[in-house]
Amino acid sequence: MLLNNLRDRIVVQADGQLKTGRDVVIAALLGAEEYGFATAPLVVSGCIMMRVCHLDTCPVGVATQNPELRARFTGKPEFVETFFEYIAEEVREILAALGFKSLLDAIGHVEYLETRAAVDHWKASGLDLSPLLLRPDVESALHNTSQQDHGLDAALDNQLIALSQPALLNAELVRIDLPIRNVNRTVGTMLGAEITRAYGGQGLADSTIDITLRGSAGQSLGAFIPAGLTLRLFGDSNDYVGKGISGGRVIVRPDSSSTFESHENVIAGNVIGYGATSGEIMIRGIVGERFCVRNSGATAVAEGIGDHGCEYMTGGTVVVLGKTGRNFAAGMSGGRAFVLDIEAANVNTDMVDILAVPDDQREILKAIITNFARHTESKTAQQLLLDWETSINRISLIMPRDYARVLEAMARATREGLPVDALVMEVAANG
Amino acid sequence: MADPKGFMTTERLTPERRPVDVRIQDWREVYEPQSFEQLQRQAGRCMDCGIPFCHSGCPLGNLIPEWNDLIFRGDTHEAINRLHATNNFPEFTGRLCPAPCETACVIGINREAVTIKQVELRTIEEAFATGEVKPLAPDRISGKTIAVIGSGPAGLAAAQQLTRAGHTVAVYERAEKIGGLLRYGIPEFKMEKHILDRRLDQMEKEGTRFRPGVDVGGELTGFALRKKYDAIVLAIGSTNWRDLALPGRDLKGVYQAMEFLPWGNKQALGEIENPPINVKDKDVVILGGGDTGADCLGTSIRQGAASITQLEIMPRPSDERPDSQPWPTYPMIYRVSSAHEEQDNRIFSVSTEEFLGDEDGNLRAIKIVETEFIEGKFQSIPGTEREIKADFVFLALGFTGPERSPLLDQLEVQVDERGNIKRDANFAANEDGVFVAGDAGRGQSLIVWAIAEGRSAASAVDRYLTGDTQLPSPIETTTRQLMV
Repeated sequence: MLLNNLRDRIVVQADGQLKTGRDVVIAALLGAEEYGFATAPLVVSGCIMMRVCHLDTCPVGVATQNPELRARFTGKPEFVETFFEYIAEEVREILAALGFKSLLDAIGHVEYLETRAAVDHWKASGLDLSPLLLRPDVESALHNTSQQDHGLDAALDNQLIALSQPALLNAELVRIDLPIRNVNRTVGTMLGAEITRAYGGQGLADSTIDITLRGSAGQSLGAFIPAGLTLRLFGDSNDYVGKGISGGRVIVRPDSSSTFESHENVIAGNVIGYGATSGEIMIRGIVGERFCVRNSGATAVAEGIGDHGCEYMTGGTVVVLGKTGRNFAAGMSGGRAFVLDIEAANVNTDMVDILAVPDDQREILKAIITNFARHTESKTAQQLLLDWETSINRISLIMPRDYARVLEAMARATREGLPVDALVMEVAANG
Repeated sequence: MADPKGFMTTERLTPERRPVDVRIQDWREVYEPQSFEQLQRQAGRCMDCGIPFCHSGCPLGNLIPEWNDLIFRGDTHEAINRLHATNNFPEFTGRLCPAPCETACVIGINREAVTIKQVELRTIEEAFATGEVKPLAPDRISGKTIAVIGSGPAGLAAAQQLTRAGHTVAVYERAEKIGGLLRYGIPEFKMEKHILDRRLDQMEKEGTRFRPGVDVGGELTGFALRKKYDAIVLAIGSTNWRDLALPGRDLKGVYQAMEFLPWGNKQALGEIENPPINVKDKDVVILGGGDTGADCLGTSIRQGAASITQLEIMPRPSDERPDSQPWPTYPMIYRVSSAHEEQDNRIFSVSTEEFLGDEDGNLRAIKIVETEFIEGKFQSIPGTEREIKADFVFLALGFTGPERSPLLDQLEVQVDERGNIKRDANFAANEDGVFVAGDAGRGQSLIVWAIAEGRSAASAVDRYLTGDTQLPSPIETTTRQLMV
């Protein structure tokens, strides 16, 4: 990077077994300007490296949700503070010994390293470390000095923000209709930030700002958008539609002049609704892999999805009015999914059951599909609604087993006036 | 892993001890049997830690989480294999070891440790009961001969390892029976001697030769040994007892613990009716608050002493682990051994001033004084002197190294400044072919260290004799218990 005069444009972070000030200085001399510590401060806080973080049985209360075990946690923030004070102190001492005035001055000065012991170490045999230990003879800075230009000035959102001023200032309705191209990425996100800045986490009233876009959207259409913002795309979209959506609504439907059957054609890319927390994603057409992975609260509808749908989902509702790919619902620990004409072989049933839609969920499902039909004019949805009594029997509910038991415990606690936490913990403990 | 939540759902539970009034009527071991199901639940408390500190607590490197898991699953067969993989004599350690593994157990950070020692003991006892402890005679004989001097746990461990490696091993013991401290120091109520005989029987069938009643250094000289054997392992222990050179030390009735305990064991086994030192209906004072003191206590109780007082110069330790001795160290805490449960009259922070006798030279009392720890020294508090009536005083004050027997001179081995036999990193003394294992090289220590020493020394001897070795070497000569 130095030889190509690029080093000043990036920040190099080093981590992996950093434990001492010496480690920091070595990393700096090798060219890093950020230093990642994880295990050491964790141990300082009381971690004993049990390696059971995934089992919820951490006996020192570091990595567990169990209140009984959490009570055993003895760490204090001050421990970590003190640890890093020692690290900083040691860094300062070593820098002083080397003759540097600051850590920044030391970055990239690999010639200060005494490397013989490391190079001659038997574990390094067969490795050529010389590229790592090379100090190119260049004039340019050895550390980051310039900021990257993200081209935000040219973002479509600047226009959207300008047009949305009535809503941002006075919560007045705003209607926008604009063309979009696939160079326009994360459309709606900066506008969403402005809404949040002005109105806080609750956002605006539903569809206060209603934006119609026509064309092909670039990646991350409607990422993170809050309540009050609706993005309606006529056309198609790249990956990550509605990523991290937190209250807003994204609709993707074919261009009005399109002659394709929407339920037989792909309209948007992969990883749609990743990590969504609330809001709605409605997609008339088939989408790619990992639909709604890590969704924790949004409602999402599509007419068909690729592999690994609903992976690691923890909350929210997903409706698939078409085929799913394989490994559906892998690691799905919460939320629910409704799938039309399900192919059971495509479902990863390690954590979920495939059930008929229970009576008490039929109305909710009908409302979601009705809403979807209204926003997208999906023919699939319209036909299902025409003969709902038959359609409902074609739809299956995919429900995480443990989640179902927790919901049942919570319902029982409410019914019988028992402490909710205690009942849930009982279910968890007997799981 | 055993039971991932076992440590949350199950409390630590050790076997009950037999009622005091019943057990002091006999010399047998003090524990009631524990149901196997209960033991399995206890083994299930093991957390199979990412970093198992029990491994570093125990010098043998016992594979504790592994056999805890196996016992939890009921696989006693594989459990004993894993246990024997690191420990020649789990039936000894399961009874006698103070279990530094348990004080290093990770649960012990904020709850009570796994009953590791109990799992170990049950594993080996199940194996003996089902006939799984079979002699493991070597497939091939190397033709090399080794003399092991001393038949305590270090000597026996070295002998078993070397015999199994194909060498011809003779174990020499000056006492009339094999076993060293296991036979003559450990009272019957802590370990019944048939437990020892059972293991010696296995060793004999494997080919180890036992030569008890031989005074090496006397009738069999070091020179003769050198001529006869390819290698010599000195496992002669640390038998020099610390004495108390005070006025009246020569009075009749003042004995070393190790002058008293062997007779108690002979009496317990019915080998003698009336031991030469018998405290029945007598007043006894024990100096020293350690394990040997507790052994004197239990033995005196069973002989029927009129009164027993145990004195300790240190202040009474706290019930809980003090901050200065954090997990996973082995802490000094107030412990109640089985003997203390039977009768506990311990006086802390006192020092002996004088032994007082009658005109016939018999002990009648000892004079003690309260002490205070000031400026790094125990200092007497004036005006706190008092007498305690005593017909017998037993000194249980620790040991200071191996005896300076003629053997050491004959072999021309050197001792270090602490009186232990000098050795290099390969357990070898300064004379070629002479090795040192156990307390003789390390100074007085625990049984697990003795066995670990025996195993490591055996590995070094095997390498010396054959140029290579497959025998494990769990510790180095310089390895020490973790301290802060």
